[in-house]
Amino acid sequence: MLLTTPAVVLHAFPYLESSRILRLATREAGVQSVIAKGARRARGAQRMTLDLFVEGSAQLYLKPGRDLHTLGGFDLTRTRPGLGADLGRFAAANALGELMLRFVSEEPQPEVFDAFVAALDAVAVAPPGDAASAGLQGAWGLVAALGFGPALEACAVCLAPIPPDADATFGHAAGGVLCPRCAAERGGRRLPAAARDDLRRWTEGLPRPGALDVGTARAHLRLLREFLQQHLHDGRALRAFDAWERDPNGG
Amino acid sequence: MSAIDDLAAELARLPGIGRKTAMRLTYHLLKQPAEQNRRLAVAIADLSERIQPCARCFNLAEGELCAVCRDPRRDASVVCVVEEPADIAAVERAGEYRGTYHVLGGRLAPIEGIGPEQLTAGALSRRVADGTIREVILATNPSLEGEATALYVQRQLADTGVRVTRIARGLPVGGDLEFADGVTIAQALQARREMA
Repeated sequence: MLLTTPAVVLHAFPYLESSRILRLATREAGVQSVIAKGARRARGAQRMTLDLFVEGSAQLYLKPGRDLHTLGGFDLTRTRPGLGADLGRFAAANALGELMLRFVSEEPQPEVFDAFVAALDAVAVAPPGDAASAGLQGAWGLVAALGFGPALEACAVCLAPIPPDADATFGHAAGGVLCPRCAAERGGRRLPAAARDDLRRWTEGLPRPGALDVGTARAHLRLLREFLQQHLHDGRALRAFDAWERDPNGG
Repeated sequence: MSAIDDLAAELARLPGIGRKTAMRLTYHLLKQPAEQNRRLAVAIADLSERIQPCARCFNLAEGELCAVCRDPRRDASVVCVVEEPADIAAVERAGEYRGTYHVLGGRLAPIEGIGPEQLTAGALSRRVADGTIREVILATNPSLEGEATALYVQRQLADTGVRVTRIARGLPVGGDLEFADGVTIAQALQARREMA
């Protein structure tokens, strides 16, 4: 079956002398593994630009039951050179890509693809020092689009409202903030009121808080990584998130 | 497991060699004279024993230093930074460069778990710190990861006073403008220069 769909390159590595194997985020078919035969050698009209995070219209030859499909063509529509011009943006974009690779299946999820593209666009133009905030907004937006956005206004267990100016406890397994009574039973990570407000802004797509200092960015990234890890059951580390957390603003 | 299966399993570990190709190669080797197979085995064993990273630039070397670092005719004040040893062969084929090299051992790739600590950028900083180097040419691949890696290295060398340059990008010689992609044309336009 030939499918033409908007797609973004998530990962690419060489295969044999002249080909590449790619992982693509697609709008119509989730995340797909494809082989681009001869892509490293092709010149002229046959050449496909298949760099990380480029966006284009992909022609996929999909065969049912196969893990690896064939990329017939890739018509470039957008590159994001800004992602390589700042190490903070680069780290954030890679974490977003990793989120897609680990959480999106081969099922079509157009709203997730659209959230991913919007997140990459925001990170690509984030001012220096603001890439962590832009990336966090994009990542929490993706989490919401994937359907497991955290509860932030009321206790995730007993639904008791939590005042917006109150510190709270974040329970990863519960899926959001906990009231004092539920927190005492279940434990969790302390979430100051200001951090909860940042989180609310990111998940609801409101204007971002300003650039985060390194300590605040690391605390938010730790919370996000632990929350994501809670939903993964393969025990594998989120390597791009680890790197992002170590150096949120790219030095 | 038989000797045939053992060899096929080892060959199948090589990049680009699948199970069928591994079996085909195994049966081909079975038809070869024993002496020829022994020479192949010795050559493979020697590879691991005799080849090591150059102590200065991390190129492949037989002995402490690679052929480039040992060559007194090379200009040691200019260092071309590449991702892999194979990139050195590509630059050498051009026949224009007479400086030395530094092999990073890869590029920043967070999704693959490759960060600065997996690269030899620290060793490059130490090379530069000894004061004999006046220019570092960043020749990492013109990909997003290559650009980020070049930016990282440039940041590491920012306070050393050494001149840091990046290789140019643009249209290939003999190429056809009509068939060039938009990214390449945009970069060629950005890197345009005055005609003398």
